[in-house]
Amino acid sequence: MHITDIIRRSSRSLKSAKARTLLTALAIAVGTFALSLTLAASNGAQSFVDTIISENFDPAELIVAADESIASNASPSEPQEYDPSFGTSTSNAGATIQVKRITDDDIAKISALESVESVREGIQLNVQYITREGQKRYVGTVAGFSPAQNPETLAGELVKPPKNQTVLLPEAYLGPLGFESAEAAIGQKITIAVRKPFNVAALSPEVIAQLQTDPDAAAALAETNSITEEFTIAAVLKKPTTAQPGTELYLFVNNNDARRLYDFSTEGTPDFGKFLTVFVKIKNGNDSTVLIASQDELKTLGFYSVSVEETQAFLNQAIGILQAVVATFGAIAVVASIFGIINTMYISVLQRTREIGLMKALGMRKRDIGRLFRIEAAWIGLLGGIIGTGLSLLVGLFANPFISKSIDFDGDLLIFEPLQVGGLIVLLILVSILAGWLPSRKAARLDPIEALRTE
Amino acid sequence: MISVKNLTKVYGKKDSQFTALDSVSFTIPDGATVAIVGKSGSGKSTLMHIMSGLDRATRGTVEIDEKILTELSAKDMDRFRATKMSFIFQSFFVEPNQTAFQNVMLPLEIARLTRSNRRGRVLTALKAVELEDKADTKAANLSGGQKQRLAIARAIVNKPRLIFADEPTGNLDSTTGDKIIQLLFGINKTIGSTLIIVTHDDELAARCQYRIKLKDGKIESMATPKQMAKKQTQDKLPVKPNLKPRPATTAVRKVM
Repeated sequence: MHITDIIRRSSRSLKSAKARTLLTALAIAVGTFALSLTLAASNGAQSFVDTIISENFDPAELIVAADESIASNASPSEPQEYDPSFGTSTSNAGATIQVKRITDDDIAKISALESVESVREGIQLNVQYITREGQKRYVGTVAGFSPAQNPETLAGELVKPPKNQTVLLPEAYLGPLGFESAEAAIGQKITIAVRKPFNVAALSPEVIAQLQTDPDAAAALAETNSITEEFTIAAVLKKPTTAQPGTELYLFVNNNDARRLYDFSTEGTPDFGKFLTVFVKIKNGNDSTVLIASQDELKTLGFYSVSVEETQAFLNQAIGILQAVVATFGAIAVVASIFGIINTMYISVLQRTREIGLMKALGMRKRDIGRLFRIEAAWIGLLGGIIGTGLSLLVGLFANPFISKSIDFDGDLLIFEPLQVGGLIVLLILVSILAGWLPSRKAARLDPIEALRTE
Repeated sequence: MISVKNLTKVYGKKDSQFTALDSVSFTIPDGATVAIVGKSGSGKSTLMHIMSGLDRATRGTVEIDEKILTELSAKDMDRFRATKMSFIFQSFFVEPNQTAFQNVMLPLEIARLTRSNRRGRVLTALKAVELEDKADTKAANLSGGQKQRLAIARAIVNKPRLIFADEPTGNLDSTTGDKIIQLLFGINKTIGSTLIIVTHDDELAARCQYRIKLKDGKIESMATPKQMAKKQTQDKLPVKPNLKPRPATTAVRKVM
């Protein structure tokens, strides 16, 4: 029998048992649905990570620290000896980690390297408050603008790097600071206040005496012990959809301004001129071999560095592990449905014992009879695959706008690759054929005389 | 020419051996009508199964068209059956969910006929059994007689050299059965296929040119056209009255 005839006959026999076929296919569809969605979510998560990283980080930049322990954020396993030149960080569990920091001397050392183009501190400073004349005060974070960032603006022009004493204001601050619109804010001034640390030596003896007798006076002094600077709003940033999570309310200024404010807030403290990490831009750093070479160079100087690519790979690996777990459940569902196919095919063989006997009597080859049933199983696999992936596509269609909205992401988080979907269906067909193997063998080996016995 | 020599079939192992066929030999010319008669267990079904290659003989040979079937490989035997033989069964074995057309098409698909050649052949076969207007009707919706006519169409669509009919009228009432028999003999004349009918029905057997009567796996008697002509002049009446329809048969029909 020609293969086309076999395919037609097997599909016809499925049509005559619609409910059974559909139910078996649905069992496969469940696993397919899970696998298809897992693949789509994996694609989406990877694209999400990639977008965020490419929108916020320069691949030619290395994140450099003086201490490797900053990367792991793990609690120390044994007591660390106190060193005043070190800073402290907090582990994921909340424990104090003593971390060696990068100093201005280190920055000078790194900048002196042949391969280094520039170094920036990447400052994020929690300021005392942000305000505008006649408005309330708000807490906020001021950060140095990275040239790799590409935020969308609602109004104003984004100059890289921002000019001195200008600020990029997040959209969310417009209302609180009393602006009618984004356009109205451009060119207006806001005040940023930065708390200064106490310098006891600089205080007059009268003030010291007052502080000793009146505890409230200390609080009042601390409140007024700050500097304020005026910044002109250069641009209003649209609520970011691809920002590094948690940076949505950052006010960006240029690095010099950020550094100056940071120095104000740390002057006279052990934190002055010390940084947990700095961003080092490598000449021709887009070339990964150059980048790796300079990472080795930094290592010999005693610095620990992470490239954007490494960070990305680490994140993707984490996503991959999650996906693997979900995919395993999907695969288990598919494996379970194999038994459904085997069962269905056995029933089909039993129901069609006479037909098989007749076909054999009429000279149909064993091989062709086997094929007839394997193709019937393949049809079920195809149907289940189409139903499963179809449902997952449908879910993607409805869930994508919803998910994107809830996480403020400008893209889809469920991305279906035609090649993957097709591959999945082909895989299911193969699995089904495999499941149909035993029943089809039973059919092929059927004795026509027994099959055609009338009793 | 069909030549059966020393055909023996033994079932079971040493202690529980049962000889279904015991040194059966006969020769039939092409285009003849043959009845194989005998009681249940006489070996007539076994003979048919071995002659059609569905079963293997323990000893002996079957030769059809100068081919020794008993020596063919499984593949060649399938090929031989697909192109040279066909079957008609008591219970019709038509596929109820398929149309008459699709049912008749099956042997052509098995014989790997090209698609362009099929349609005409199927329609011709359906016309021969007067079912051309039922081509697109599902077999389930046909009457018993129509089903058997459909089975005959399926049996002749391949223009086989040999048609095996196993109790072809067993599930039909006498009027319908008569029509089927007339149809079978008509086909035997028009396309010249050898017709081998396995039956209990003496009336049907009497109409065949050759009659092989089996008893306990041996040929009890074999009548050739010459002998029969002689016998018919001796006693002109049929041997037994027509007993149909039989109660057992009606029961089977209800199930179908």
